[in-house]
Amino acid sequence: MKEETPTSKFKWCNLILIITMTVLLIRLWDLQIMRGSEMRKLSEQNRIRVKKVIAPRGIIYDRSGRVLADTRPSFNVYITPEDIKDFSQTVDGLAKLLDVDRDDVIDKLKAASRMPPSFPVKIKSDIPMDEVAKIEAHRVYIPGASIQIEPKRNYPYGKMLAHTLGYVSEINDEELKTKEYKDYSPGDYIGKYGLEKNYENYLRGVDGEKRVEVDARGREVRTLDIIEPTAGNSLHLNIDMDLQEVVENSMENKKGGCVAIDPKTGGVLVLASRPAFDPNKFASGITKEDWKAIALDKTHPLQNRVTQGRYPPGSTFKIALALKALELGIINERTTFLCRGGFPFGNRVFRCWKKGGHGNVAVHRAIVESCDVFFYNVGLKLGIDRIHEMAASIGLGKLTGIDLPGEKQGLVPSAAWKKKTYGQPWYEGETVSVAIGQGAVWLTPIQLAQLASFVANDGVTFRPQLVNKVVSPEGKVLKVFEHVMNSNIKLKKETLKLVKDGMRGVVNEPGGTAYGSRLQNVAMCGKTGTAQTASLDKGGHDHAWFIAYAPSEEPAIAITALVEHGGHGSSAAAPIAKAITENLFRVKTEIKEAKAHENR
Amino acid sequence: MRIDKRRLYHLDWYLIFNGLALFGIGIMNLISATSSFYSGSYNYIIKQLIAFALGLILIIIITHYDYRLIAHNSKWFYLGALFFVVLVLIIGMVAGGARRWISILGISFQPSEFMKPIMVMVLANMLYEKKRENIPLSLRDIIKPMVWTFVPFILIVKQPDLGTGVIIVLTSLAILWFVGLKKSTYAVLISFGLLTPFVAWNYLMKPYQKMRVLSFINIDADPAGFGYHAKQALIAVGSGKFLGKGFMSGTQHKLQFIPEHHTDFIFTVFGEEWGFVGSVVLFSLFISFIHRCLKVALDAHDELGSIIAFGVTSIIYLQFTINVLMAIHLAPVVGIPLPLISYGGSSLLSTLISIGLLLNISTRRYMF
Repeated sequence: MKEETPTSKFKWCNLILIITMTVLLIRLWDLQIMRGSEMRKLSEQNRIRVKKVIAPRGIIYDRSGRVLADTRPSFNVYITPEDIKDFSQTVDGLAKLLDVDRDDVIDKLKAASRMPPSFPVKIKSDIPMDEVAKIEAHRVYIPGASIQIEPKRNYPYGKMLAHTLGYVSEINDEELKTKEYKDYSPGDYIGKYGLEKNYENYLRGVDGEKRVEVDARGREVRTLDIIEPTAGNSLHLNIDMDLQEVVENSMENKKGGCVAIDPKTGGVLVLASRPAFDPNKFASGITKEDWKAIALDKTHPLQNRVTQGRYPPGSTFKIALALKALELGIINERTTFLCRGGFPFGNRVFRCWKKGGHGNVAVHRAIVESCDVFFYNVGLKLGIDRIHEMAASIGLGKLTGIDLPGEKQGLVPSAAWKKKTYGQPWYEGETVSVAIGQGAVWLTPIQLAQLASFVANDGVTFRPQLVNKVVSPEGKVLKVFEHVMNSNIKLKKETLKLVKDGMRGVVNEPGGTAYGSRLQNVAMCGKTGTAQTASLDKGGHDHAWFIAYAPSEEPAIAITALVEHGGHGSSAAAPIAKAITENLFRVKTEIKEAKAHENR
Repeated sequence: MRIDKRRLYHLDWYLIFNGLALFGIGIMNLISATSSFYSGSYNYIIKQLIAFALGLILIIIITHYDYRLIAHNSKWFYLGALFFVVLVLIIGMVAGGARRWISILGISFQPSEFMKPIMVMVLANMLYEKKRENIPLSLRDIIKPMVWTFVPFILIVKQPDLGTGVIIVLTSLAILWFVGLKKSTYAVLISFGLLTPFVAWNYLMKPYQKMRVLSFINIDADPAGFGYHAKQALIAVGSGKFLGKGFMSGTQHKLQFIPEHHTDFIFTVFGEEWGFVGSVVLFSLFISFIHRCLKVALDAHDELGSIIAFGVTSIIYLQFTINVLMAIHLAPVVGIPLPLISYGGSSLLSTLISIGLLLNISTRRYMF
């Protein structure tokens, strides 16, 4: 090394300065110019979160505008995995604050693992205010956790009408994989039952989007812009909540179902099934215990007995036989059969419910007093296939097409059916049972309501329809459901008159099986039924049926009431129909009187 | 105090205005760095301005006394500073896991910062005669300076304040180089230098310091911790693009993505808001400032002044370079402030003392 002079040292220094500046500039050029756009994008991704603004679901109204299902704000807890700093700190901290199981939290995070880490995962729904306060107070210690205010489904009537309205619940993994739900994402709520499910496409709104700026802890600092959500469309039902309440109250602590239909339109006025569940429990993310309690309940509260429960129709089925026999002229007004309380056939005796027998009965008294022997004879004369034919043309044993998911078909047997199913010929002895609605006849309450409508409406039935119209959030009517005719059978006037008179007598004539349920101001027509249950385990009580329509002229309502193990139709089921009719016509009378008063 | 008009005339106005420009940029940048989108706390700015005012008084005092007088008494300053450094270890305040501050009468300061210019004076005082004789330093000659360097170094690193420690050692080495070394001395120092990383890694470094080095080598090694911050710093600077996001518009620091963005990572704030253009201006100001400082060393009246000027220039240069390199991920994360720009009273005072010494030396360059 040559002699170093002071100035050579300064040359070195200048060189170092030049190198420093060069290195810095190259790096800055690389970062800010070459990769500037990429870095700008990364910084935007850092701070901008697109958050979903959940659209409120459409409101469900009854026919007079009472709210049956709406939405209310609820506080939901989310975790955004991206914002978690220390996994166990956030998860354990939150589990402790919310009193939820740590594993549940982890399961939920796992379930959403295919979503991007910036996707917030819902941990708990509808937390009470004290938990909201707790979380807000501890936010700093649980980075990644946040509370969102979101609309929650609310059913103000609780268990009432539960099977009709159905419930909403979080979409599950299997559903997410199906085509039907392809534009849904985890955490979304969907209708899973009842109208909520059937009208999901109308009720569901269009979720909005909010672009928010978050800080490094994931806290929202400010909202940059927002696309407002569009609320779902409202459903206006044919249901009359006044009547529904009457039914629900009279069926409290009973099992069974009740449905009332406007025979002129098919509009469903009442649809009750008991026992029921509380749809509100599902809406806030049902707990495991609650779900177990409902799913494993031996009384099957989730079954809609009106559309899914299949029962032997008992004596109500006699109406179908009477119609067919009269129509074909197999019997007429004066045709009588002798009832001695029993009917020997083959090597056994089929009993009439009245031990002493009815004596000589014609069709009117046979309906009024529900003589079994009379209909054993009629049944045999008709034969199973003509019974089947009649039932089919009324719509019994067929789906009614009510706008609820999961309707069951039921069964009215025929010779061909038996051949096909069991490979055996039909025996006439079986026809005897079928004639009084026993044996292989299995019908749903809604089908029997169709039978009542059929008579009331002179051979015409409409598809039962719960929803009348769909209205947009702005109030525009989007769709009015047309009345769809299910059956239209031309019947002789005499046939109808005889059967109608018989049904009128059931309620209004002394000796009629439902005479106890007669009404002062309205002539209700009906038919009781008592269906023997296969096993007499539940204290030996039979299922009690009552089908009815009212008033006898110009009928406005057709009703079916079923009380499982209720005993006799006359004592258990008819009072429910009475209550409905009484209520419906009291109101109608009051309105009429009020109008008359005004006119005066 | 009688002001010598001749000296006032000889004041290095270039240095002063260049320094003021940097400090001005620093204050402006600090206003943005210490405020969120909604509110700003002027506490930081007020404290920084108070420190600046104190620093100006110190500059006046320092320039008043002949630097030779100051350097001859530097031993006492050294011992005083050492006393405080030891005191920090005993009664210092803990902040961010380190014991660096000491609070006296409600004023907290960081004694290690003051050690930097004092160290320079002590070494200059020790070595200027050798420099005058132009005798390269033998191994024996550097033992004393090394001991005087390593005593505060070890104490400071124990706080732990690795950044300041590193600056002190590097500055001392720069001074030794400036004075001139024998080949054998170079050889020994270089071999020590090669050994240092191994010894440091295996015996001296704390886990978090190792983690910083690891995440420097591989930015994804610790994506949640240091790597994350390094990445966010890069994103901040890079996202400034050509013209920057604009004053008060940096999102990266305002939304807390960058830790220590008003102190060690202050450059990310500037880079984000002023972009390439602003950064080039800032760097140019620094390079020009450092170049001017070197000129003071070159033009100094005597060897003592030259060494002191070179030493404090080294401090400023090293802090600037390492700080910026760290912010743009060309050096591992280490707590070194950006002179005149970073928030911090002690750091600012220390830098102003250095500038005071430079002015002192430059005004006395024609003195006989």
